[in-house]
Amino acid sequence: MGSPRIAITGATGYLGSILVQHMSQYGQVVALTRSRPVDETLEWRHFELDEPIEASSLADVDILIHAAWVLSGKDTGELWQQNVVGSRRLVEAASVAGVGRIIFISSMSAYFGTRQTYGLMKLAVERTVLDMGGIVIRPGLVYGDSPGGMAGTLRTLSKLPIWPRFASAKLFLVHDGDIGPAMAAVIDDYDRMSSETIGFANPTPLDLSSILTGLSLTRRRRPSVPTPARPIIAVLRVLEGAGVPMPFRSDSLLGLIEAATTLPGENLMAQQHIAFRALDESVPRPSR
Amino acid sequence: MDVVIVGSGPSAAAVALALQHMPDVAITILDLGGQLEQERVVARTAMAESRPQQWNQADLQLLSAPPKSAAPGKIPTKQIYGSNFPFENLGQLDDIDAAELANDLVVSGAYGGFSNTWGAQVMPYSTGTFRDWPITRQELEPHYRQILTQIPYSAESDDLEEVFPLMGRPDRLPKVTARTSAVLNRYERHRIAVRRHGVTAGHARLALRGSSCELCGLCMTGCPYELIYTASQTFDDLRAHGRVNYHSGLKVYRVEEDDSGAVAVHATEVATGRTVTFRADRVFLGAGAIGTTRIVAGSLGLTDRKIDLVESVQFMMPLLSLRPMRELTQDGEFTLNQFNLFVTFDSDGRDAALIHCYPYNDIMLNSLPAFLMKPPIEPITSAGLRRLTVGLGYLPSWDSPFVELEVGPQPLNEGALPSVRVTSRPNEATGPALQRVIRRLRRTGRPLDLHPIPGQTKLSAAAKSYHYGGTFAMSRQGPGEFTSDTLGRVGPWRNVHLVDGSVFPTVPATTFTLTVMANAHRIATRALEGA
Repeated sequence: MGSPRIAITGATGYLGSILVQHMSQYGQVVALTRSRPVDETLEWRHFELDEPIEASSLADVDILIHAAWVLSGKDTGELWQQNVVGSRRLVEAASVAGVGRIIFISSMSAYFGTRQTYGLMKLAVERTVLDMGGIVIRPGLVYGDSPGGMAGTLRTLSKLPIWPRFASAKLFLVHDGDIGPAMAAVIDDYDRMSSETIGFANPTPLDLSSILTGLSLTRRRRPSVPTPARPIIAVLRVLEGAGVPMPFRSDSLLGLIEAATTLPGENLMAQQHIAFRALDESVPRPSR
Repeated sequence: MDVVIVGSGPSAAAVALALQHMPDVAITILDLGGQLEQERVVARTAMAESRPQQWNQADLQLLSAPPKSAAPGKIPTKQIYGSNFPFENLGQLDDIDAAELANDLVVSGAYGGFSNTWGAQVMPYSTGTFRDWPITRQELEPHYRQILTQIPYSAESDDLEEVFPLMGRPDRLPKVTARTSAVLNRYERHRIAVRRHGVTAGHARLALRGSSCELCGLCMTGCPYELIYTASQTFDDLRAHGRVNYHSGLKVYRVEEDDSGAVAVHATEVATGRTVTFRADRVFLGAGAIGTTRIVAGSLGLTDRKIDLVESVQFMMPLLSLRPMRELTQDGEFTLNQFNLFVTFDSDGRDAALIHCYPYNDIMLNSLPAFLMKPPIEPITSAGLRRLTVGLGYLPSWDSPFVELEVGPQPLNEGALPSVRVTSRPNEATGPALQRVIRRLRRTGRPLDLHPIPGQTKLSAAAKSYHYGGTFAMSRQGPGEFTSDTLGRVGPWRNVHLVDGSVFPTVPATTFTLTVMANAHRIATRALEGA
């Protein structure tokens, strides 16, 4: 049997590009993205989350990893249409096209009871994927040598002389180097993990100060001040409503202060001898 | 192979649908077969042949007589085409009674059973429901799909699909009322605010030929065009094609299987009192959960004891909107359930409640005391009605009051069934479960403009929901005295299958009949494959 053809949506995003890098060693990667990736050696097919996918784009695909997500838009109704309805349409098209293994990249924000818009949308897609026998992956906060997304924002924040301290925020984290082997293990054991939700993260959640310390280049803990998150969220919402571009969305802040408390699928990963390193062991040392 | 199906309700129809294309199977249906009175059939036929504007007023009056409530504020027993025939006693209700307020009209003798008068809701059960079942939704899904291709089906794509996939290509729903549009539009605009409370809103899913709807407003008293599915339509079709041998006027009272696996079905001719016996290689019992339980109890000597029934209790929740509807009329509308509020307390839809929401229809007006529609109070009442939506909700069986069937002694007379008394006792989980549903809906009241009226949510009496079963719940351990295997076989029987709600391990709060049909279809298909 030849190597599997692995279609990855969102292949040019932070997590998507990590997956492309690792999955290229595992099979033949097909990038499903809006525009052609910079790496011209990568097989590419045009895909937009808010448009129906061409059946031919999935006809020869063995594995679909759906990592695409639209983070910003005019309003939540539009984001819902793009992300939730679009994702549902994609996984149904994959099922009809005979794609045998469907993996949805969700988020640790997607736990039942979340109030976060992002988490609620991911949760809505999860149900469809699980009911179709797919696998849901909830990565923790992804970091690495050059973190993007939320970890990148937090590294920038770590440069502040004084850090904010929010009540009861503890997050699960995953090093980007651990994602590839874990994904390979999930693909290898797909049938057993079918319809399961699996967290990709170290099982010990960390508070914000520990995360900022670990992500900072100096690895030195700085003084922090108790910060009332809710008034800040309210102000951010007002500014967002007025169309003011913000470096940090109110919804992301909500995700920091109200986070999942359990890591799903920990046993399944342990049975596969997959471990996720702790932040302290993996943080980059200052190179100069 | 000779197959006997007992009953003509949805489960029996689903078995017949599963077997119809098996050429070596001869299908015999044994049924009481109560029918709509002939004068009403004539009137309905005349109305069905013309547009609503051309209807004869006498025919309309005859068929659309609204049901009367036993007391103000109580849900009246639903009549259909002005008739009570689905509830009429053709012998099946003999020796059935109920304690206090519990429902005693628990077995239908009608051709088509209680599907003559159902709400026509068709949603699959959530995946989470099957955590308590010995089968998975994946196993049932092909059967859901089969059923939905063989009955009328109207639905819309919306958020309810996450937990309740459409499983097919439905017809469009007819145009919904202004109230339904307003609520669903507000849900679109405030989706996140609503979903934060575990509430999802979406269109009704109905066993209805939606695109043929004339919007005459008579859904609740009987569609003159027969666009709402009843199991009798399936049997009419199969009989017209000579695919089933249908016998009416028969009350089945005992089933016996001998050592060789041959089955004898004993019945009484209602008209003559004579007993007759039918022999079959395989028998499917679909007489409704309590009807079937009674036959099994009499046949296997499970008499003089109490048998637990599980019911998903119904509640009525009046909801008010601040914005009134422009006028108070059901003309130009369809009046079945139009939208649903799904309130969930977990991520896979097991621990949940479902509220079917009905916009204004004349039954609401008629169930009010007369003085409320007279001056000087009438304007206030009308203002209230223009803001009213009636929710018929359900709690899951584990949160519902306990229901028991007290089965009497083995009858001495040949042809009789053991007596049954329906009794109920409180479940301490019910009150808190109902309150947490109300709390969630209170929080979504403003974004949806749909507010539960404080203190007005009322539980219905035991066995009134008609969503009950579980007397011989399917079990992974296989058949026992009060359990069945996954093919609905109880105790010593190998070729007798229970196919209705009696084999449901639990009854969740979501719609019941489609799963009854899908499970019956699965049992029949698997049983015959095995044979």
